[in-house]
Amino acid sequence: MADELLIAEKIEAGYPGKQILFGVDFSVRKGEVVVLLGANGSGKSTVLNAVSGFIKPFGGRMLFNGQNIAGLPSHQIFRHGIAQVSQARDLFPDMSVEDNLTLGASQRGAAKAAESRTAVYRDFPRLGERRGQIVRTMSGGEQQMVAIARALMSGPLLLLLDEPSGGLAPKFVDEIAQIMARLKQGGITILMVEQNIKLAFDTADRFLVLKDGTVAERGDVGQGVSQEEIVRTIYL
Amino acid sequence: MLAQLLVSGVSQGALYALVALAMTVIYRATTVINFGHGDLVMAGAFVVYLLVVLAGAPFLISALLAVVLLFAFGVAVYKGLIRPIMAGPHLALAMMAVAVGYALRGLARVVWGREVLPFPKVLPQGTFMVGPVILAPSDLIVTGSVIATVAILAIVFYATRLGKTAQAVFQSERGAALVGINVSAFQGTMWGIGAAMAALGGILIAPVTLLYPDLAASTLIRAFAAMTLGGFGSFLGAAVGGMLLGLSELLVGAYISSKLIDITAYLIIIGVLLIRPSGLFGRQAVVRV
Repeated sequence: MADELLIAEKIEAGYPGKQILFGVDFSVRKGEVVVLLGANGSGKSTVLNAVSGFIKPFGGRMLFNGQNIAGLPSHQIFRHGIAQVSQARDLFPDMSVEDNLTLGASQRGAAKAAESRTAVYRDFPRLGERRGQIVRTMSGGEQQMVAIARALMSGPLLLLLDEPSGGLAPKFVDEIAQIMARLKQGGITILMVEQNIKLAFDTADRFLVLKDGTVAERGDVGQGVSQEEIVRTIYL
Repeated sequence: MLAQLLVSGVSQGALYALVALAMTVIYRATTVINFGHGDLVMAGAFVVYLLVVLAGAPFLISALLAVVLLFAFGVAVYKGLIRPIMAGPHLALAMMAVAVGYALRGLARVVWGREVLPFPKVLPQGTFMVGPVILAPSDLIVTGSVIATVAILAIVFYATRLGKTAQAVFQSERGAALVGINVSAFQGTMWGIGAAMAALGGILIAPVTLLYPDLAASTLIRAFAAMTLGGFGSFLGAAVGGMLLGLSELLVGAYISSKLIDITAYLIIIGVLLIRPSGLFGRQAVVRV
């Protein structure tokens, strides 16, 4: 379909000696938010890593804007317009907020980087106030904001979020939920993994439930699917 | 006498600093301490020896070729031997570096045995007096090279985009990949630069120590001591650590016993690790595990 930004076809992927994904199929349309749900070890993060190039799929195709990106190294996939916020955040801990953000736009040239930085400080005023602060001295929630903002600095066509609320205090989970809502309003296409089903369903348009490396269920959020049913599918 | 010892110590220490700086470049790119680095120093010196003495090539062209050749060798070692095991335990990386070093040393031994060869006299000879202190132009050139190298590295690593990239890769390889940096190409280049600097070190050291396949052993431990004293990962630390080690060796030799000169580096390593493991300018080490 013309409005499909990412199409994953029969993706087989994993680590040496251990296959995690077995023929996973899904798509993400432009401007929508798709959430991957599933128990620990079901393959959710592996899907994101297969999209972003940190894991090389050994089977299937990953079409992004019609081009097969499966197997490309991560820095080339990034240049296609896919940015990832990893579960561990992977920030540069001894650099300032500003340096982290600038590096996020390092492939775009100075003018576009400055433009992105202005936009990010407008959307994340707390980061603007703390632009000189060394990242390792910030709280977990603030670091998560830096990680999301750094990914946005590249002007991505597709944003991959791996458990954006993971390990955060409830106050910050609410803040992350607001950020997600803003990103969605801004028309950013998102594929995310999220364990917090309420947060996921508040933001997402569609969901996929992964179980043992395969898609066990999929559907549109808000079309009569109860969160309890999803939890049963995930864990039972 | 003290003034002479201080000047000679700094000059001696500048040689250690130059090698320590090259090891720091590789450490900052990959968090690998290249235990085979001393042998790259030896290899650089031997390449020049081969070109100048055996092939009759002009010294400057030979030196340039040695630097280029060692750069290519450093990149090849990274791509062929280090990169494939980067995901493995840190110890494996250290052992691979040791193995490369021993292979180079073994190759040199096969050809030259334990022969000690005179290196072409490339630096100006003779001495001159400044007050009570005897100075050699060659010492000034080596010390000047180290100061220039520290200045260049400081500018590149702290005031340019390349420097930010290097810091990013050092602090988080995955983070660097997440912002589109080609980490593998970057690390390969840094291994190349480190090896090229080793060649430069060899060219400056060999006229002092003469040339032999085991040249590396004493160079490596002294550079390692300089890094430990200055703090791993710090360019300023590597330079200052090297100078202080050179000074310590001469002062210990003059005022306590010349027999202690060869173990000064080991004593410094033990002392620093016990008293201030992060060294003079280092932060807590970031080590891949």
